[in-house]
Amino acid sequence: MAINLRRSEAVIREKRLKSVVGYQGTVKDLANKAQSGCLKNAQRGFSQAINCSSGCAQGHLSTILDAAIVNHAPIGCAADVAGANSGFKWGQNIRNWEKRNVKIINTNMTEGATVFGGGKLLREGIREAYRRFSPKAIFVTTSCASGIIGDDVESILREEEEDLGIPVVPVFCEGFRSQIWATGFDAAFHALLTRIVKPPEKKRPELVNVINFTASAREYVKEIFGELGLVPQFGIPYSTIDQISRMSEAGATISICGTLGGYFGNGLEQKFGVPYVTALQPHGISGIDNWLRNLGKVLGKEKEVEEYLAEQKIITQPELDEIKSKLKGKRVVVGMGPSFSHNYIRLLEDFGMEVVWGLAWHFDSKHDHGGLPHCTMELTKKERDIPISVSDQQNHEVLNLLNKIRPDIYIGRHPGLSVWATKMGIPTIMISDEYSAFGYKGTIDFGYRIIDALTNNSLARNLSKRIKLPYTDWWFEQQPFEFLEDEELKKNAASS
Amino acid sequence: MRQIAIYGKGGIGKSTTTQNLTVGLGEKGKKVMIVGCDPKADSTRLILGGLAQRSVLDTIREEGEEVDLENILKTGVFGIRCVESGGPEPGVGCAGRGIITSINMLEELGAYTEDLDYVFYDVLGDVVCGGFAMPIREGKAQEIYIVASGEMMALYAANNICKGIQKYATSGGTRLGGIICNSRKVDGEKELLEAFAKELGSQLIYFVPRDNVVQRAEINKKTVIDFDPSHIQADAYRGLATAVDENGMFVIPKPMKQERLEEILMEHGILDI
Repeated sequence: MAINLRRSEAVIREKRLKSVVGYQGTVKDLANKAQSGCLKNAQRGFSQAINCSSGCAQGHLSTILDAAIVNHAPIGCAADVAGANSGFKWGQNIRNWEKRNVKIINTNMTEGATVFGGGKLLREGIREAYRRFSPKAIFVTTSCASGIIGDDVESILREEEEDLGIPVVPVFCEGFRSQIWATGFDAAFHALLTRIVKPPEKKRPELVNVINFTASAREYVKEIFGELGLVPQFGIPYSTIDQISRMSEAGATISICGTLGGYFGNGLEQKFGVPYVTALQPHGISGIDNWLRNLGKVLGKEKEVEEYLAEQKIITQPELDEIKSKLKGKRVVVGMGPSFSHNYIRLLEDFGMEVVWGLAWHFDSKHDHGGLPHCTMELTKKERDIPISVSDQQNHEVLNLLNKIRPDIYIGRHPGLSVWATKMGIPTIMISDEYSAFGYKGTIDFGYRIIDALTNNSLARNLSKRIKLPYTDWWFEQQPFEFLEDEELKKNAASS
Repeated sequence: MRQIAIYGKGGIGKSTTTQNLTVGLGEKGKKVMIVGCDPKADSTRLILGGLAQRSVLDTIREEGEEVDLENILKTGVFGIRCVESGGPEPGVGCAGRGIITSINMLEELGAYTEDLDYVFYDVLGDVVCGGFAMPIREGKAQEIYIVASGEMMALYAANNICKGIQKYATSGGTRLGGIICNSRKVDGEKELLEAFAKELGSQLIYFVPRDNVVQRAEINKKTVIDFDPSHIQADAYRGLATAVDENGMFVIPKPMKQERLEEILMEHGILDI
């Protein structure tokens, strides 16, 4: 299904990509079900700590340097701005910039606003954002409250836009719309595709849009792309509205993360003919090989890519061999968003480790280009069928599982869960930087990081001695997926 | 204190019936308060002799949350106390949430005094959302009367409202006290309404005949008893007041399926024309 850019709202992932948040089984079974169209979301009889999609929408857009956000919502909806702000500051820190806060204003909808309509507050919020920040564009993120009472956000924004003379763009990310928080990325990219990106004035075939988060490895990516005769343009974070508006001029788009970049990449291809490179993520050796080869194919740089890869293989082989010898047979549990999870499972298996369980925070049955996510497809080619589950960070499920499996190490990407693995005495690595394990150099660095974490496990050991977990013994005696209402699982249990 | 909610299809005459009924009770010496739950804020016009009242939500909008009860509660004929919930301007905000806000406000301000015999909630049209069901939620109105006529759409609406009542009857304690017919002079109207009410497991508690004096009184911003106490229609409303005052039949209604509703309409010859 093509992305519908005529609508003002992005279609949610559950409908567009047949995404789910409840599943347990194996990667081959999951892929099979997804491809045959019979993957069903399993509900939970109990769940905790679910995130809404506005965080992803707002967090991502708030990193655009000369834009402002007006969050049309009760003040509680702005609670996650603290997290967005710390992430934004980290990105400024690694650039050696003078640090400032994100430019977000909340309209503070109260009971009165829900009764009488929030139009007046919204106009005030937009005017205040314009006065305080002089932005090049204002994004208005909606909320459950403004959505339920039916505030006519679009009309108000049109009027304000006429007066202010800058784009004032709605971003529809009401919390109740989707159970999948990554729908918020789509909402943000939908706003950019429909209202910010302009038709190209001139084409720049050497330019590659690299969709990522903080772009920590900018220099390394520039160096690699330089060898191929290409120039990376990083976004969306730390870009300007002008830079984003000209992303249609690039020769191709590629993403560090399939979950993040798919909507924007496919949208640019559909609307402006900029090819989107679908590939494995560039984490681990097979990942970077596939990522660069597919990029080379799209831009006619196959020869340069092969030369670069051949050279890297020679340089890194001894270290990779050493890492593999130290990691062989180590048991690991992975817990990340779907694309990162299924890519990291591959990379860890390539290290010779045994991924005893893979957790993904949701799963897309297909990506916007139409097929099963590449990273999932790749895992089905492995001889061993890896046990996996899908849960939106249900800590009770994960802790129960970790308690039963007791892996040598837990590798996650989100602090809210990684810290609990540590508290259980399991050495943990949290990958907050999307360029960890990127390319040949990153893969080797990451290999050493795992060896270090396994060797120096005193934090986990000491912490676990002093922590009482919040779950009862009863819960740890249950099966981890006790609350997952999976019909097939129940059927199998009954027949055995 | 008996708390009573009046529901019914839009335009059926809920506000007119409620005001004439409460004046009948007032005449008997009962202490009554009317809470208008319609954004149009026209539930108390006949008691107060005009739309002189400021609604709860208007007051909150203009003066903020610090509201004095005396600014929103006015007393009309027979000492009947009147409050209008009011609402946002048409097409904006959420009127349902407005009703929740204003009823909570009335409770906080102590509008429900011990000496009251009756509190009436006059609720807009259908039970379209949770806000309009507020008067029949736990701790509020225990009795409900539905105003209907022999016209088909009025009965559809009444049946639909019963679905809402059924929901809250099982969780809270609210019950249907009966159907009040506000006659449109439809053929076989009384029999039809009796059969309809019986099918719901309830009763046709009173049949209010159609008379132009009601409109004449309305033009003069009065209820019939107030406008022309000796008129036969005034007695009709006195009769309604007595029927409600002495009512002992409160049930959980059994709303019917569309097919059954249409069968009843056929049986009573409404489709003969």
